Amino acid sequence: MKTRNSLALSALGVIGFLLLWEAVARSGIVPAQLIPSPSAVPAAFLTEFRSGIWQAMVAASLSHYLVGLSLGAFLGVTFGTAAALWGVWDACQAWVVRMLRPIPAIAWIPFAIMWFGISEAAASFLIALTVFWINYYATYAAVRGVDKDLIELGYAFGQGGLVARLFKIVLPGALPGILSGLRAGLGQGWMTVVAAELFGISGLGMRMGEASSLLATHIVVLYMVTIALLYGVSDFLFMQVQSRVLSWQR
Amino acid sequence: MATVKGAPLSGAAVIDLKNVSIGYGKDAPPVLVDVDLSVERGSFVAIVGPSGVGKSTLLRVVAGLHKARTGGVTIHQDPRPAHRPVGLVFQDARLLPWRRVVKNVQFGLEGLPVTSDERLRRAEEALKLVRLDGYARRWPYELSGGQRQRVGIARAMAVDPDILLMDEPFGALDAITRNNLQDELRRIHRETGKTILFVTHDLEEAVHLADRIIVLGGTPARVVRDVRNSAGRDGSVFREQVEQLRLEIADNYSI
Repeated sequence: MKTRNSLALSALGVIGFLLLWEAVARSGIVPAQLIPSPSAVPAAFLTEFRSGIWQAMVAASLSHYLVGLSLGAFLGVTFGTAAALWGVWDACQAWVVRMLRPIPAIAWIPFAIMWFGISEAAASFLIALTVFWINYYATYAAVRGVDKDLIELGYAFGQGGLVARLFKIVLPGALPGILSGLRAGLGQGWMTVVAAELFGISGLGMRMGEASSLLATHIVVLYMVTIALLYGVSDFLFMQVQSRVLSWQR
Repeated sequence: MATVKGAPLSGAAVIDLKNVSIGYGKDAPPVLVDVDLSVERGSFVAIVGPSGVGKSTLLRVVAGLHKARTGGVTIHQDPRPAHRPVGLVFQDARLLPWRRVVKNVQFGLEGLPVTSDERLRRAEEALKLVRLDGYARRWPYELSGGQRQRVGIARAMAVDPDILLMDEPFGALDAITRNNLQDELRRIHRETGKTILFVTHDLEEAVHLADRIIVLGGTPARVVRDVRNSAGRDGSVFREQVEQLRLEIADNYSI
């Protein structure tokens, strides 16, 4: 299908979805508080924006997100690479990893609050945890998958030492897989932002919690849309960087 | 155009294999035994034999990438496996896909004490040698199979090795490209005077290119034939001569 046609259809889909939503909300089939109409969202945005709450919440969440994301991604890539390259370390941590992996980040919320209090650090910690596992596994698989022939090439051309091998062959070779992990972490990170902040840590999640307790559902929807947009923007920016970094791929 | 730099006497052995045997894994029987081979400076030696006979592994032993089970390997009388003055060319070209052509050619130079200007100069020179000047900024995926193989040769030549080790470098190419590259390789050999060790399973190719052909065969394999060949070298490839050598060598396959 032509790109222009498919873009037009995608836009049409969004409009259709919004119209259907508005129709259901206005029909009175369900109470207005259970399904707020989308046309109420712009007004909600203006109120929140004029009072400065919206900007403050976005800034707070963004800072939790960026700290957690960079910490989790850095540690995930580092530990994933180490485990994939170093057999002894891999064996030592294999069972521990299998034990910890199935525990979702939000299950750590009690500990996060005990360790860090209701604080920014607690939110960043939970986000970092989510992002860490995704990057850890993606990197591990990517590094394991690097073509052994290229490693041999390194040895054949005097680039077999650990540093040269790591930076000239292993990491560039694993880069596509590592970047996929980063991208997946980017999305999961936003989901954790909401969960972490619902417990009263200032940010989008907290504001959603406040609004829902007052049954101000149109404000809840406003922040849902905000998260979707923030995710969309971060994913778009990441894809721009990714396609530039991987321009050597066909 | 001889480019022999600080070399021992011409005709002296550059590669010396003494009683080399090769095996994979600790307890498995050896695949290749009793290899005594002395390669003279500037010669073009082909190693032929059926697949699985250990040709490629023998090449890796010479390169210092694989340890011989017994016996000794010396390059210029030096037995140390590291820093051998060799350049390797692989069957699959094996370019680093994330490096542009010119950076691929510089790969081996990065391990040497060479300035970046000098690296670039030598890479461009090597690309000129394989007639790929103008392709420096391309990505490997933009090249044809033959061009990739040329880059592989340039990469090996850029480090200015004494010995070029080639592992079935043209095995995966179509016939026309292969013929072109064979002619190019003969030209490069003529111009640079490098010692070449060339593994192939293609007898015609061996006869066409090499001035000496080592035939491996048997179980475990050993050197069954060591032929001086003049058919290809002087440019007058006589069909009968090729055929005769081919038959002679082919006879030994069944040993």
